[in-house]
Amino acid sequence: MQLPWTKTQQARPSGMGDGDAIVVSGLRKTFGDFVAVDNVDFRVKRGEIFGFLGPNGSGKTTTIRMLCGVIAPTSGGGTVMGYDVVNEPERVRENIGYMSQKFSLFQDLTVDENLRFYSGIYGLTPEKYAERRAYILRMADLEGRENELTGNLSVGWKQRLALGCATIHEPKLIFLDEPTSGVDPTARRQFWELLNDLANEGVTLFVTTHYMDEATHCNRLAFIYRGNIIAEGTPQEVKADLMADTILQIAVDRGEEALAVLEGLDSVEEGYMQGSLVHVNLGRRSAEDAGLREFLVDRGFEVGAIDRVEPTLEDAFVHLVTQQGGRA
Amino acid sequence: MSWRRIRTLIWKEFVQISRDRAMLPILFIMPILQLVLFGYVVGSDVRNLNLAVLDQDNTVQSVRVVDAFTSSGYFTVSARPTSDAQLKDALDGGQAVVAITIPKGLGDAVRSKRAAQIGVIIDGSDSRTSGVAAGYASGIIANLSSQFYGTGGAAMTAGGVNAQVRVLYNPTMRAVNTMVPALLAFILLMSTSNVMSQAIVKEREKGTLEQLFVTPIGRADYLLGKLLPYTLIAVVQLTITFLVGVLWFQVPFRGSLLVTGGGLMLFMLAALGIGMIVSLMSRTRQQAQQTSMFLQMPQMMLSGFMFPIDALPKWLYILTFLIPLRYILVIVRANFLKGSTFMELWPQFAMMAAFSIGIFLFGLSRFSKRLAD
Repeated sequence: MQLPWTKTQQARPSGMGDGDAIVVSGLRKTFGDFVAVDNVDFRVKRGEIFGFLGPNGSGKTTTIRMLCGVIAPTSGGGTVMGYDVVNEPERVRENIGYMSQKFSLFQDLTVDENLRFYSGIYGLTPEKYAERRAYILRMADLEGRENELTGNLSVGWKQRLALGCATIHEPKLIFLDEPTSGVDPTARRQFWELLNDLANEGVTLFVTTHYMDEATHCNRLAFIYRGNIIAEGTPQEVKADLMADTILQIAVDRGEEALAVLEGLDSVEEGYMQGSLVHVNLGRRSAEDAGLREFLVDRGFEVGAIDRVEPTLEDAFVHLVTQQGGRA
Repeated sequence: MSWRRIRTLIWKEFVQISRDRAMLPILFIMPILQLVLFGYVVGSDVRNLNLAVLDQDNTVQSVRVVDAFTSSGYFTVSARPTSDAQLKDALDGGQAVVAITIPKGLGDAVRSKRAAQIGVIIDGSDSRTSGVAAGYASGIIANLSSQFYGTGGAAMTAGGVNAQVRVLYNPTMRAVNTMVPALLAFILLMSTSNVMSQAIVKEREKGTLEQLFVTPIGRADYLLGKLLPYTLIAVVQLTITFLVGVLWFQVPFRGSLLVTGGGLMLFMLAALGIGMIVSLMSRTRQQAQQTSMFLQMPQMMLSGFMFPIDALPKWLYILTFLIPLRYILVIVRANFLKGSTFMELWPQFAMMAAFSIGIFLFGLSRFSKRLAD
């Protein structure tokens, strides 16, 4: 559906100025009866790392696909680097980089051939290609492996090559859809160093992830849940709501069982697993441990340390989702 | 649309094909393999059929009947039953696929120029063999008839088929000759629709399709980047098939490259359209393979590629009009073997063009729509 005001929006010079990198208003996408993205609004400023968080199936990828001009929104719209996503999808795609969790390289092409392919697609001049190729090979630590089949590379290498291919045309905005899923922690850390380098050069990064620890790298965040944005702001702002709450981290054997028992208590507002540890939110109570140790010991659990902890983004997320009446 | 992007896509497609160990043999060995298999197996002649002879007459004339069968080269006497019951056993037990019974009194009848009958019993369980055998048998008997009675008297009959034609015509040559031109169209259909759907599904499976559409590659770029390489490959395949057919199987080419080639190019649109439709119905390469197979079966059976469609029941015969392969087969066979011109073949061209363009555009529109979702 074309909204009446998209015309006037297009009338102003597009792709210009220092406006926001992404402006989204009333963005909505339905597939039949299923509402994948429901009237979403947000802005991403130039040069920031914007984290787009949410569980699988919450509408993250659909939103990105609309912002890249791959699929048309059912209603609403937005601009990306000043170009209208509905009316100028080609201009949008020339000005962005995109990398997905599958690092969609051609596995049956060599490293060099992948670079050459994307260089041809983005129309780089031979001189520019030579310069970018040298840069990417160095950045991805792939010098000397130019003729290796991409399929034979380790995951970390593939991931960095994929980033190289997605940024071969030096876009000022990069969409990264779960770029680190399935990658070991060392490679993940190295990858975030590369992303920070890009951000320092003024590149805007739009990142989705379900690793909450990665979300702390972001300047600003939005939580999307069931197609709606349920929180937006800096990591501190997102957590602010929880700062007054008492959150306990409990080391206990048989964590899942302990969690089930604890969730039955009136004093426990929210509980969930954080790795092997149980996190419970007691709400605005100052009681240090609220008798939870005795409660668990009585029920035959072996309880280790119980600490009051600063709320993490994960705590914030669980809290927000609980407020929405669902489970993360 | 950008020619540079299309060129890059084509280059990538060829590099990928050259690395694909499963695809490469399919592309270039399959046409030859099919040609050889169909040419020799399907196109081969039925010979040395096992014959049971029940001769109750035992005269000079009855021996001449048996000789006529054996000397034709199509029959070998495998059993000599002495009663109807034994004859039935021979057929039931598979010792013979054809039996002849010569009744007592044949010699007398022939000498006195009276009508005589020879019974021919054929095992109908293999319809192809039995059809051919019936043709041969009636031909041989008709031949005998004119020897015994002279050309005027046709008192001895063995069925309504005009067998004279069958015997005069060399069936071996005919089978291969009709098979090779048909294979041009069939290989084009199988290979193009198959390879095209595989290439697209593979791209989706690996996630590279998703990646390509966040680059400036447009739909037209992508489709041309896929269609052009596989069109080129199809042309190479057709050339190989054509050359092997003409040079190895010695099939005489009496037509024009313009009519045969033009018809095949038009038909390729249908094949490419089917390929796109299959790629939309399948999530994995294996599914695409199975869907292709599923679609190929009726096309093979109902187009006249292997079996004559005239013999089909009426409702099935009507269905054959919906199969584009049917029209192109008439075109290539008639042009290839008889040199029929476009003027003579235009109804087939018209039907095929309508179907091919229709299927291609349908595939294209569904494909574009799918990419948009």
